[in-house]
Amino acid sequence: MLENLVVVDKEDIREVVNNKKLYGNRFVAVTCEKEGEYYELLYHFDNNYELSHIKILIKPDDVIKSISSIYPSALLIENEYKDLYGFEFEGLLIDYKGNLFLADKSPKTPMLDKNTQ
Amino acid sequence: MAKTVIPFGPQHPVLPEPIQLKLVMEDEKVVEALPAIGYVHRGLEKMAELKDFNQTVYIVERVCGICSFMHSMAYVRGIEDIMNIQIPERAEFLRVIWAEIGRLQSHFLWLGLLADAFGFESLFMETWKYREKILDLMEMTTGNRVIISANRVGGTTKDITPDQTKIILDTVDTLEMQMKDVEKVFFDNYTVKQRLVGVGILTTQDAVEYAVVGPMMRASGIKYDLRATGYSAYKHLDFEPVVETAGDSYARCVVRVKEIYQSFDLIRQAISKLPAGDIAVPVKGFPKGEAISRLEQPRGEAIYYVKANGTKNLERLKIRTPTFANIPSLLKMLPGSKLQDVPILVLTIDPCISCTER
Repeated sequence: MLENLVVVDKEDIREVVNNKKLYGNRFVAVTCEKEGEYYELLYHFDNNYELSHIKILIKPDDVIKSISSIYPSALLIENEYKDLYGFEFEGLLIDYKGNLFLADKSPKTPMLDKNTQ
Repeated sequence: MAKTVIPFGPQHPVLPEPIQLKLVMEDEKVVEALPAIGYVHRGLEKMAELKDFNQTVYIVERVCGICSFMHSMAYVRGIEDIMNIQIPERAEFLRVIWAEIGRLQSHFLWLGLLADAFGFESLFMETWKYREKILDLMEMTTGNRVIISANRVGGTTKDITPDQTKIILDTVDTLEMQMKDVEKVFFDNYTVKQRLVGVGILTTQDAVEYAVVGPMMRASGIKYDLRATGYSAYKHLDFEPVVETAGDSYARCVVRVKEIYQSFDLIRQAISKLPAGDIAVPVKGFPKGEAISRLEQPRGEAIYYVKANGTKNLERLKIRTPTFANIPSLLKMLPGSKLQDVPILVLTIDPCISCTER
């Protein structure tokens, strides 16, 4: 079990991340993994060498609010999950349209559990 | 003024790995830059779910040809955390020695590439000549020059003998003396300074905003180096992060040069305190749980998220490499720069694309 973990509603993610930034946290990464019928997105932040995490639960066809307008560095990881899982992010700073890693003829959403589609 | 779009890369003399920048130009000035990757994506995270958690050590070593050792170190530390394994003290010190040797070869590689980027061929060759000495140390201690396979869950697979430590110390002493000459060129040469000073400034605020890591971050005045947290055997060593404040390409070069001396010092300290004893403990069972493992690679913070369900296969392995964190800063540094500075700016993030794409 991760320490300093809070679970928030997916609709609130932008507001919560904005608060993280106001309190001087550095954006580190986002991890995506399957949790039952949901996927969880774990947003990791660092403050003075201490990690904290925000978790949201989503379904594959949910539209997720992008945090790239708050932390521009999040644009690559959000595009990565668009490629690999097919997630849609609203307000992406740069939208690679599913072609950050994958070519047009690549297998689509290779990390998505096909049973959840 | 009319705008021109210039594709910079993916194949370019200055790029050791493929990345493309779509540069929107007004005359010689960059007004917009869009980085494009995707040429070497290998799906290693997915592959890790299909392999035995011990086999995954060999997968993560191949995330990057330069930071290979430190990728496996981050991964095994995550598994050891989940399985509550206390590895022998000697193994912790051995890991630090190889990690710092790895940092040296990476920083020498970068200095050579930088010199090559601004056309200083003799400096490039001189720097890489020193790197060869470091690679020789890796070969001597492990049998391999780059992917050294010295980590395993529970400790290390190889040991360093007293004779080898003497050779390592002699090499470090020699390189430190030779480095003083090279340092003068990087720090004081008129041409080098013309190409680096004031180029691609990333302020402290920008560095936080764009969440850069490693020497990029420290060159922008942020005192942050995960080695200061004392993971592995670093807790037994004197360590102070190298910090510069100018935030330009020159500052990033200075940080890396100073970190070379720092690695010499850390290797000396680690060898002087290297305890006797075993190099690994037996590992039984399968991991169950989740852990985050972070360490300071040559390019900056690497983060491994590992989740295991008590079987031989991992449920999830997520890797965030330093270059993945540093690429977005190009969106800030490139607009407003001159075309001639683009290769320098791309290099100053020390891009590792195979890392980034995994």
